[in-house]
Amino acid sequence: MSERFFPDEMPMPAANAETLAFWEAAARHSLVVQRCAGCGQTRHPPGPVCPACRSTASQWLELPGTGSVYTFSVVRQAFLPALSDRLPYVVCAVELDQGGGVRMVSNLVGCEPERVAIDLAVTVVWEDMGPDLALPRFTPLGTTVARP
Amino acid sequence: MRPAARVPCLVGVGETRYTKWGGTTDASEYQLALEAITKAVSDAGLRIDDVDGLASFAQDRNDATFVAADLGLPELRYASLSWLPGGGGACAAVANAAAAVADGQAEVVVVYRALCQGQFGRFGQGPGNQPRSPGPPPVPRIRSAKSLLAAHVAFTMPFGVFGPPIAYAMVLQRHMHRYGTMAEQMGQVAVTARAHAARNPRAVMAEYAMTMDDYLNSRMVSEPFRLFDCCLENDGACAVVVTSAERAADLARPRVEILAEAQGTLQGFGHGQYTNVSMPDDDYTSAGARGVARRLWARAGLTPADVDVAQIYDHFTGLVLLSLEDFGFCERGQGGPFAASGALSWPDGSLPTNTHGGSLSEAYIHGLNHVIEGVRQLRGESTCQVQGAATCLVTSAAGVPTSALILGRP
Repeated sequence: MSERFFPDEMPMPAANAETLAFWEAAARHSLVVQRCAGCGQTRHPPGPVCPACRSTASQWLELPGTGSVYTFSVVRQAFLPALSDRLPYVVCAVELDQGGGVRMVSNLVGCEPERVAIDLAVTVVWEDMGPDLALPRFTPLGTTVARP
Repeated sequence: MRPAARVPCLVGVGETRYTKWGGTTDASEYQLALEAITKAVSDAGLRIDDVDGLASFAQDRNDATFVAADLGLPELRYASLSWLPGGGGACAAVANAAAAVADGQAEVVVVYRALCQGQFGRFGQGPGNQPRSPGPPPVPRIRSAKSLLAAHVAFTMPFGVFGPPIAYAMVLQRHMHRYGTMAEQMGQVAVTARAHAARNPRAVMAEYAMTMDDYLNSRMVSEPFRLFDCCLENDGACAVVVTSAERAADLARPRVEILAEAQGTLQGFGHGQYTNVSMPDDDYTSAGARGVARRLWARAGLTPADVDVAQIYDHFTGLVLLSLEDFGFCERGQGGPFAASGALSWPDGSLPTNTHGGSLSEAYIHGLNHVIEGVRQLRGESTCQVQGAATCLVTSAAGVPTSALILGRP
């Protein structure tokens, strides 16, 4: 397996009753968002009630994994010592295609920081972290990445 | 309308020495809290025996019930903790104290905040998602979140969004894209704060001058934020005393009236951009304070043009621009040009702002020092005194559910 995008010291996700299904789908490389079964509005991060219609019924909507960069930052300071040899890295908010306006925080990989721009078209790439854990990162559409 | 006798007033302020992060080694954070409370009560010309209420805001480690016990308050009649997170809650804590005084639940309420990040670690790293200890890593497995916030930051921290600087850098990136906001405009906020701090002996950065070139040459932390876009981290504590106009009448200091207070958030903004990047674009590129601002001006019966001086929460330079927009000092998207015009500078700007140096240059005590500076302005005691100042806006943090006050000289 190739080297991981981030060092092993990085914090890993923790889940509660509302968010566990997202991470279970992620482990299968399926990018999902929660959709209200009452009014159809999507939301992310997942929550127990639809803020629009207050329905507690919801479904998981599988998305194609493409989208566009809504905003981003090129991080040039190591907020963990272990990150010092991974600088700079790019964090972004991706507006997901067919997601009903939902955006997701992630990383842009396989892309020079100078190329990152708002509205850049991207697609998901999965990094397996363990047997039941994978993280969705994004890369410019049409890019082939060796890592992750 | 409140009966005139019950109009809540700020009658005392107190603060400890402010030091750099980890610079206070001879006192605990809790001891600093007690010191600030004692000084504020003394400043008011009151005694600890007069205090019957305590108020603070989210993420306070220094429980009011312990404060009451350790200071030997004769009778604690009121204690509250605003839910508004971190810097969003300083003005709300004052507002809660004011409400308690106005309706007679308590007579003398002290609002306090102590912050020693050197003793407890940095804010904003999020709960339950701390980096692992050195050594061979366990096989990562999905763990159980220990709090609602822990479940939410699971969607940001594993991607390297460590705390507010990165999260709010993304907000300013979007604001720049949408409105053309420029680095030099954010830099004007930093340079102005530093110039004000140079006159304030309490300011941690009083001795460190900053030019625009210094700002532009400071190292990039998380684009577009440079080091000098980010507030300080330091050790210190603040407290203010709230009581009724009636009680204030025979105290040591001229009273400062709380003319209006507002707190909260609007639907859609949620917990703020720190955990919610799915909100409408108009909200994402805002301070999240438009509802608070609308209610604040309405309660005061004032407009932005009526304000003589402002203390705007400044965890990041760019978020000051967004607050100026939300509170109506300029049009949406025009916070940058407004700052660049020199409006924020004492003494000649149209809205002298953060006349103590703010969190960028005086101290980072989650904005309770901004309330203190508001009081000083209206007493005529500021080191950057706005001549004849009669009204002051004080805001709490942009980017989270927040609060604000308008203070007035009777």
